[in-house]
Amino acid sequence: MNRRTALLATAEVLAWWVGLALLWLVLISTVDTLERVVGAAAAGAGALAAAAARRAVTGR
Amino acid sequence: MNGWTAAATVLLGCGLGTALWGVATGPLRRRVVAQNLSTALACPGLLLLSQAYGRPSYVDLGLVLALLGPVGTLVFARLLADELAEDPPSARGVTWAVAGLGAGAVIALCVATGPSRAMVKLLVIGALLISGNLLASRALSGGFGGAGRG
Repeated sequence: MNRRTALLATAEVLAWWVGLALLWLVLISTVDTLERVVGAAAAGAGALAAAAARRAVTGR
Repeated sequence: MNGWTAAATVLLGCGLGTALWGVATGPLRRRVVAQNLSTALACPGLLLLSQAYGRPSYVDLGLVLALLGPVGTLVFARLLADELAEDPPSARGVTWAVAGLGAGAVIALCVATGPSRAMVKLLVIGALLISGNLLASRALSGGFGGAGRG
């Protein structure tokens, strides 16, 4: 993994995180600090899993 | 009894009733299509009931149904692949009619909700409902025949 691919992988995880965190904020009923913290953590785990799954499917 | 309750009753009574009758009778090709459409009809029914009773938690049931309904259909499509390949179902008209019904219900609810986070949630559910239903319907009619790896 060179500098460019590392940067691309980080950008992909970040893009997944943004999308999943926004989805979380849309789906919850009340927005408060605890929900934001839990949502950010869950979106982080989801983003890592999504990036890994996409890598596994595309075989790279 | 308001308009939302009436719409939900008609949708669940006529639509879901017909779908369940289709699941219980007739050849396999009709049963799998009816099974696919039953969740696509129950989901907008739950969304309408949520508005009718003023209970936002019903929307979450609709979300779960919109996600899991097509997944269940894909399991049937996989398990019954051999039988379905001999006699592939094609229900383009009914599928698009139910998709249009779902879209109409979601749009009406969005108008009633007004621009807010709840409306975005409804739009997400609607998109999941319609795209999942169309995908599952295509899988049933053998649309992804070459995609499997065994």
